Amino acid sequence: PAAAVAARARLAGSSAAETRPTVRPKNEVEQKQLCVFGEYVAEILPKYIQQAQVTCFNELELLIHPDGIIPVLTFLRDHTNAQFKSLADLTAVDVPSRQYRFEIVYNLLSLRFNSRIRVKTYTDELTPIDSAVSVHKAANWYEREVWDMYGVFFANHPDLRRILTDYGFEGHPFRKDFPLSGYVEVRYDDEVKRVVAEPVELSQEFRKFDLNSPWEAFPAYRAAPEPLKIEAGAKKEDAK
Amino acid sequence: MCFFVSFPGNFSETDGLDMNSPHFLERLRILYTKILGVLQNIPKDAAYRKYTEQIVNQRFNLVQTETDVQKLQDKLNSGHIEEVIVQAENELSLARKMVQWKPWEPLVEEPPSDQWRWPI
Repeated sequence: PAAAVAARARLAGSSAAETRPTVRPKNEVEQKQLCVFGEYVAEILPKYIQQAQVTCFNELELLIHPDGIIPVLTFLRDHTNAQFKSLADLTAVDVPSRQYRFEIVYNLLSLRFNSRIRVKTYTDELTPIDSAVSVHKAANWYEREVWDMYGVFFANHPDLRRILTDYGFEGHPFRKDFPLSGYVEVRYDDEVKRVVAEPVELSQEFRKFDLNSPWEAFPAYRAAPEPLKIEAGAKKEDAK
Repeated sequence: MCFFVSFPGNFSETDGLDMNSPHFLERLRILYTKILGVLQNIPKDAAYRKYTEQIVNQRFNLVQTETDVQKLQDKLNSGHIEEVIVQAENELSLARKMVQWKPWEPLVEEPPSDQWRWPI
């Protein structure tokens, strides 16, 4: 009965049903503050910052040239208006179609100003990246993980070795070209009385299901919308 | 916003730690003078020099005019006086490194055109 009343109210389009939208309200103030701060940082460090953008969820991102990791992270940690003392996360993203396939992502948190920022760089399989350990000690194990899972080498890291994979494991599992089931499987062999690694044998062939429908799902979103880019000195562009 | 600091007790009840000792203000004055000195080595039109000089001069003036540490902390609105000193030391080390790195120069290298495109 209560559900039926609510449903009837929804269908009738009464004012009671429309005053509570189910969409997250846009926080214009926070977006403006982040845009201003993004312009500020881009003005101070034009040598390394290639792009600065604010997502629609109010997350500021700085896109950096790889030479600028240590300068930008040190600036964000030490400058009085930034004070991003905490490295919350250090990960990588593999996009094999790009020339520099790995995108290294640093998430920083400022306790003084209660705000977060994301710093992104790029590299390919063979180019080393400067280690952030000299700036944030927390980067130690995160960089070991990125090395283990993606194969990104960090120069000047105090102790870069595998952290999650097995001791003699070959390969970098989080790369897009590494198969889901891996290349080796392990079993206990009674003859040699130890665990042996053998090439993987699946009883059933791997089935990839294509979950896309043949009809276009979102005709209004054919072209990717422009992110809110910030250029130093230029006016803020409106995002569609 | 409340910070949990590892300093002995609350400042107003600390015995042995004289909050109004001239040590804190003196240290701040020295640090701010040093920062301004290091900033002289940066070209005048660099944004870093402009903004940092603004911040440091503002704080320096507050330190010169306000002798009571409690009121100074409230005016600066940046946590306890020890934290302000630590922040000034950080800014000094950053300024010295900025002189080496010269981040006001134009962009080192443009990324490939598809690098930052999302969705791919």
